[in-house]
Amino acid sequence: MTRPVMASRPVLGPPEPYTFPAVRRSSVGAGDVIAVDLPGQAFASVRLVHPAGAFTESEDQYGVAMLTGDALEDGQEGNGSLAPALERHGAEWESWVGWDSFVTGVDVPVNRIVDATRLLADALRSPAFRSDDIVRRRDQIREAFVLECSVPSSLAARAVGSQLFAGRYAVPANGGPKRLDAVDPEMVVDFHRRQLANVAGTLIVVGDLGKVDVEGLARSVFGDTVRAQPPSPAPVRGAEGAQPRIVVLDRPGSVQSALVLAHRAPSRAEADLPAAYGVGDVIGGMFGSRLNLLLREEKGYTYGAGARFDLRRNGGQFTASCQVETRHTADAVASSVAEIVRLREGGVTDDELATVRESRTVGLPVNYSKVWSVANVLIDIEVQGLPDDHIDRLRAGFDALTAEKMLDGAREYLRPDELVAVVVGDAEQVAGPLAEIGLGPVSQVDPDALWS
Amino acid sequence: MSTSTVDQFTLANGLRLVTAPAATGQVAAVNLWYGVGSRHERAGRTGFAHLFEHLMFQGSANVPKGGHFEAIERLGGDLNATTSTDRTNYYETVPEHGLDLALWLEADRLGTLREGVTQDVLDNQRDVVKNERRERYDNQPYGTAVERLFANAYPAGHPYHHSVIGSMADLDAATLDDVLDFHRQHYGPDNAVLTVVSSLEPEDVRDRVERFFGGLAARTELPEIPDPSIAPRRDGEVRETVVEPCPAPGVFLAYRVGELGSREYDVSDVLGAVLGRGQGSRLYRRLVVERGLAVDTGGYGNIMNFSFRHTSSLLVVNMLARDGVSGDTLEKAILDELAAAADGVTEEEVERARAVLERDHLQSLASPGGLADALSSSAQMFDDPRAMLDWPERWASIGPEDVAALAADALAPSNRLALRFEPEEVAA
Repeated sequence: MTRPVMASRPVLGPPEPYTFPAVRRSSVGAGDVIAVDLPGQAFASVRLVHPAGAFTESEDQYGVAMLTGDALEDGQEGNGSLAPALERHGAEWESWVGWDSFVTGVDVPVNRIVDATRLLADALRSPAFRSDDIVRRRDQIREAFVLECSVPSSLAARAVGSQLFAGRYAVPANGGPKRLDAVDPEMVVDFHRRQLANVAGTLIVVGDLGKVDVEGLARSVFGDTVRAQPPSPAPVRGAEGAQPRIVVLDRPGSVQSALVLAHRAPSRAEADLPAAYGVGDVIGGMFGSRLNLLLREEKGYTYGAGARFDLRRNGGQFTASCQVETRHTADAVASSVAEIVRLREGGVTDDELATVRESRTVGLPVNYSKVWSVANVLIDIEVQGLPDDHIDRLRAGFDALTAEKMLDGAREYLRPDELVAVVVGDAEQVAGPLAEIGLGPVSQVDPDALWS
Repeated sequence: MSTSTVDQFTLANGLRLVTAPAATGQVAAVNLWYGVGSRHERAGRTGFAHLFEHLMFQGSANVPKGGHFEAIERLGGDLNATTSTDRTNYYETVPEHGLDLALWLEADRLGTLREGVTQDVLDNQRDVVKNERRERYDNQPYGTAVERLFANAYPAGHPYHHSVIGSMADLDAATLDDVLDFHRQHYGPDNAVLTVVSSLEPEDVRDRVERFFGGLAARTELPEIPDPSIAPRRDGEVRETVVEPCPAPGVFLAYRVGELGSREYDVSDVLGAVLGRGQGSRLYRRLVVERGLAVDTGGYGNIMNFSFRHTSSLLVVNMLARDGVSGDTLEKAILDELAAAADGVTEEEVERARAVLERDHLQSLASPGGLADALSSSAQMFDDPRAMLDWPERWASIGPEDVAALAADALAPSNRLALRFEPEEVAA
């Protein structure tokens, strides 16, 4: 074989300094506007953010926010009228309910932004909310939930909340099938009246705004609304039960087990973000993370393993997830825990530190090369109460990371003694070996009992 | 995106290079389309193209195992690869100063991969791929649907008959020599399109690509390509029913339509959007909103277009039944809607369908990586990187009569492949 003539590995020069695009703020009536002009981006993202996330729901109405979000899609005329109207403008409805926010919006070609935003405002402020439509949406969410839970990784992810928390976080954001059934159309109408109908919110607009009258858009959205009031959520409470422990959800005949190792984590405001996210990257946030290299590249147990911190306004959680061949279930759990312990005890390598520092700083132009990714940052800034230069400050924080700070972060934010391992798999095959790894008691839980 | 800003060059070794400007600064998107996919595999060796995609990240002469991922992740870049019936695609978006490194990494694995693949590496990645198969196919409700559709839509021996991921038995049978042979046969600069989307001048990009790829030799022997020809329509309905532990009856109806690039394919795109793309589509309006028979997936996923350049494409309708609704009831309701489309669709419906298609098309081109992928794809399949940029103009020429005529022809029962999933009854 003739070996080709290869150029030598290039030595890269310094990256071009990156600054997050300029954020333009204004107030129109009772609402706030955050805009970012990205010349050349002909597809705009418009978002309207309200502080009415699922965490603020009262105990007898879990799921009402998400059902309201779905029901808005029935539009001013009911019967699913909104999406077709937007589709004729080449626009797409975007709506989701997180723990901390209620987001509606459209993605739309800039030259159609006025009409699409008008439709957004009409749909949000004065929906038809026909009872039949709401009941149909509720039943569809409940059935879709059951379908999702037939996928082992989805079931495992859904089950984690009930194992870590009591109160709102114990139940999926959509309320789960049982809670959601108790939400009736009157509750949706009342939630909308209190939280959305006449509450201004914050308008976010990102795209090529050179020819867009952003304030005019805001007037069409805000009208005579009043300013949003900050939420006053209940405190976060932990679930009862031994720690660490293993919970098995039986799925007879599964050829793989879906695993989630999880524990509670601090809130967004309490965490040292560069340290927490850096630790998350090293343990499971990259292809080259420890869990993926061990479980996929070394042992060949899985197609992929990952981990992340989900840090919310009120509390948070750490999760490490993968799906492994059934016969390797117990070893995968034990190996993952051992890797978490090893990181806490030994800290990161020089290479890992360099990778976190560089990827989180020089990679920023890649992260924000999409309109929607810039819009998501602005939503984050609004919901979490962050400064407009949040991304630039975060970059400075990653630049200043040291091995010592990462070790402190690992010890602070990784808590193997508090882990709960949720395993969705063939209980007959996996429960025995799991009991032998010494990660606390193993119990089998009926998935249907999780959603009450 | 103006077609005048797309440039293309061909290196002496046959590598086709496409360049275009990025809408956002400071990034470079690199996208390689190799003209090898599962249709190039031979019997008993299915899954090779995809297994190979994995091996391409396992090290080459100058890059250690995992080194490719490590280098790009360190730059904060996005990277991955995908395999389909027709091609294998490798891509990374990096900060612009990292472009040379991305090109060098790609060139090194193209030129010297065979020096990095060992038996240990093969064994490990075979396990990974088998777990990918378990995760995506075998341990998922309806996970084998696409594999079954292909197996029934294309006869045994046809290059699209088998699934991209391949069978467990074939993966087990793969030897190191098989793997090295596959690279020799299919991985040459003459079988690739490289697209770079960045703020750099086209000539600058060309010079860089020449520096890193120019020393690679074209393949000296070209493999035999299995014949993909097939009749444009089925000559009778085929049915398969699968009973498995799934939560609800599932209906999949597949129809042969024209190959990608044909006028008929364009019409099938619009027909598919009229029927099932978005919440304004017929199937969503009628079966989800009005009759409450099908699960609400938000208007997405009810139509799948498996678009093939070299053989008949597949237009697939997919819906799951709601609680208390039988698979028979749902299937009949879908068939009624398909029959109604043959009786006529309105100008308004076609307008909405075109708007939805154009929206998705523009969104797919909005990011540097998305644009690079479209240009590579277009150059690979049509020998013209600009071809796909004109899609909206092609849709604009399609009217309600075209759509109804294709519905009457292609959605006829004799062209139907029906795949049904029924929940397995569990003993109390």
